[in-house]
Amino acid sequence: MDRLASMRHNGWNARRCEKPMTVAPESAAQRDAAAPLFELRGISKQFPGVQALDDVSFEIARGEVHMLLGENGAGKSTLMKVLCGAYRADAGELFHNGERAEIATPADARRFGIAVIFQEFTLVPYLDIAQNIFLGREPRSRLPGFVDRKRLYADARRMLAMIGFDIDPRTPVHELGVAQQQLVEIAKALSQDARILVMDEPTAALSDRETERLFAIIAQLKQSGVAIVYISHRLAEVFALGDRITVLRDGRKIASVRPAETSPDDLVRLMVGRAVDRTYAREYTEPGEVLLEVENLASDNGIADIGLTVRAGEIVGLCGLVGSGRTEVARAIFGADRVTAGEIRLMGESIAGSPEDSARRGMALIPENRKQQGLALGRSVGDNIVLASLHRMFPSGIFVPARAGRAAQAGIDQLRIATPSPHRPVSVLSGGNQQKVVVAKWLNAAARVFIFDEPTRGIDVGAKAEMFRLIDQLVQKGAGVLMISSEQTEIVHVCDRAYVMRAGRIVGALARDELTEANIVRLGMHQ
Amino acid sequence: MTRGLLTRMPGVAIALVLLIAVFSLANPNFATLSNLQNILIQSTILLLLALPMTLIIMTEGLDLSMGAVLTLASIALAITAIATGSIALAVAAALAVGLGFGLLNGVLVAALDIPPFIATLGTLGIAQGLSLVATDGQSVVGIPRGLQQVYGGAFAGVPIPIIIGVLAFAAFFVLLYRTRFGSYIFALGGNREALKLAGVPDRTVLIATYAVGGAMAGFAALLMTARMNSAHPTAGIGLEFDAIAAVAVGGTSFERGNGWLTGTLLGVLVVGVLRNGLNLMAVPSSAQVAGIGALVIAALLIDGLRSRP
Repeated sequence: MDRLASMRHNGWNARRCEKPMTVAPESAAQRDAAAPLFELRGISKQFPGVQALDDVSFEIARGEVHMLLGENGAGKSTLMKVLCGAYRADAGELFHNGERAEIATPADARRFGIAVIFQEFTLVPYLDIAQNIFLGREPRSRLPGFVDRKRLYADARRMLAMIGFDIDPRTPVHELGVAQQQLVEIAKALSQDARILVMDEPTAALSDRETERLFAIIAQLKQSGVAIVYISHRLAEVFALGDRITVLRDGRKIASVRPAETSPDDLVRLMVGRAVDRTYAREYTEPGEVLLEVENLASDNGIADIGLTVRAGEIVGLCGLVGSGRTEVARAIFGADRVTAGEIRLMGESIAGSPEDSARRGMALIPENRKQQGLALGRSVGDNIVLASLHRMFPSGIFVPARAGRAAQAGIDQLRIATPSPHRPVSVLSGGNQQKVVVAKWLNAAARVFIFDEPTRGIDVGAKAEMFRLIDQLVQKGAGVLMISSEQTEIVHVCDRAYVMRAGRIVGALARDELTEANIVRLGMHQ
Repeated sequence: MTRGLLTRMPGVAIALVLLIAVFSLANPNFATLSNLQNILIQSTILLLLALPMTLIIMTEGLDLSMGAVLTLASIALAITAIATGSIALAVAAALAVGLGFGLLNGVLVAALDIPPFIATLGTLGIAQGLSLVATDGQSVVGIPRGLQQVYGGAFAGVPIPIIIGVLAFAAFFVLLYRTRFGSYIFALGGNREALKLAGVPDRTVLIATYAVGGAMAGFAALLMTARMNSAHPTAGIGLEFDAIAAVAVGGTSFERGNGWLTGTLLGVLVVGVLRNGLNLMAVPSSAQVAGIGALVIAALLIDGLRSRP
């Protein structure tokens, strides 16, 4: 107890090299001005089926840039949402300057000087910069309800000058680029007297020059004592900016280190170093002929120079961070986005690039958002199964219910879809079974190339294993599969080989013997 | 503001200039001072509805009940005026009916989360039904003298409806661009989450927006009643259609809180000129609706084409 008290007096600097310790319950006498500016202790948060955060502790000190690192789904965003009052933790405590703090709403968080800049901005497009900065806190004129515009624009100018953003505060926000909007968000946060600024991948959409400018602003904020929590996927940034680095993995805190004590390789290892999971392991079979061949593909959705092949009997992974362009590649190949360059060959034939054409020639896209894009939720299981093959099954244009029923039943049997009858509405099925209905639909349409976009998103562990058995069955029968997944474990254990994407391009192809999580992360990160 | 004016002016302004040119050529009676003044006078009622409709549409909402609420308010005005002989009381009754329905719309949409289309379709039915019940389907006549002056009179040589129209436009301009309430309306459609995070009671703002719409329908009922010197249970039918058309033609978008009050004013004039011009050419009122419908689609098509990169 004494040791704890003395360390508190010395502040966080003194114990930065200490091993993680168990924190004893704190009495009022032990509160201290040198306590961290803000502290989250033992935070747990559960969502249906997922332990998003498991006993995570996190400290924020004045004038420090604290980098928060982790793979997709490691719990970074959830932790920050607990901090800013968007979520309430199931367990754990918050401390502000060493005193218990209750944060139940975003307003509570603001009172503690916490401001978050999410990747999705909270700006109103048709108000100007000044109106956005002071939204809800407009300087009031003597006339009730009116805004003191003179002060509004003067104050806005002052905030903008503080971060060196030289622009007329009367500019409507919808005329600004992403980088400028981000600066407005920062000005907005500072105008609320933010002492703790959380930035979620702030450089994701910035150019190099804009990034430099942001870093300069961050350095300046740091000088003035603002604490910054910085979520990033770019290792270079982590070392350029960070005073402290905390790594989360699977909802748990793995390490909290100083940049000098670690290396990029260490961090990658910390991020992915989970126990090897062999649940999905499958037997390797020699692939057959090339089914899908893509060359130099570019689309108007931001991808370029995409080249890949998928052979019969193989599962090819397509990985990379969220936003790296994986879904866009799938959409371009299937013809859902406009292709601006390159060639797609399906079973040796060039295809035109429309979803109808792709589907007719035997390609199937099973989208990530199956509820919106893959299923007619209000219709029955049977209706959904025959939906993509109506032309083939009923060339005369007359619907024959008996024939449709037989096809539906065949799909239900083949994929073991858990439904009492083909007439059940698909909306009442579980996520895993809905996924199977989508697959059955394409099987019935005689597809040979399947593109799965995040096939296991939102389904539980058992359903996942079943999903992979199903994908395995498909390739056993001679189909080729391109599988997009954010979960590197899945890619490593399910796929025969994989492509890694970053910023709209394929940055590496990993053959069977190179396919490890560390390699995927290393390629997918911005170094 | 100025840049917005330059880039968006053409659509609705070109439509207005073209319509005026076509009607001037087609009919010598169109481009006379008295007819143009007529157009302004006749457009006032529509303007009184289109101004608040702009705000409501900016919140990604809609108010289909305005015409029916105007009708009911007009009947309340006429009945109160006949019963009490007091124009002031009668106007208060009309405003109360309008405000009441506006608040009802607001509560249905903002507090009970009923989609605006459905909520205001419901209140349209209620208001229309009550109008027919209250009047037994007959016109209410015998309003004390003096009320007509509101529509037919003039102040310093300027017809009173024109003065009312100018004042209403100025009031809404100030409300939308100079007050906190106005900023929050932009935010309701543009980024409601931002408004919530800023700690503004977004539902209250939304209710207030619909309440303004209802109150304006009640106020417009005053002009409508004065114009006919009677109240008729079908007087306001379809006015919401003209109002929505004027807003849409004026370039207010149904998304992202992108509204433009000056555009609405021009849109109202476009609808007014079209109706007046078609009247002069002896096109029946029923067919005029088709013309307005076509105009709305044309305007939105042009806007859609122009906003494409």
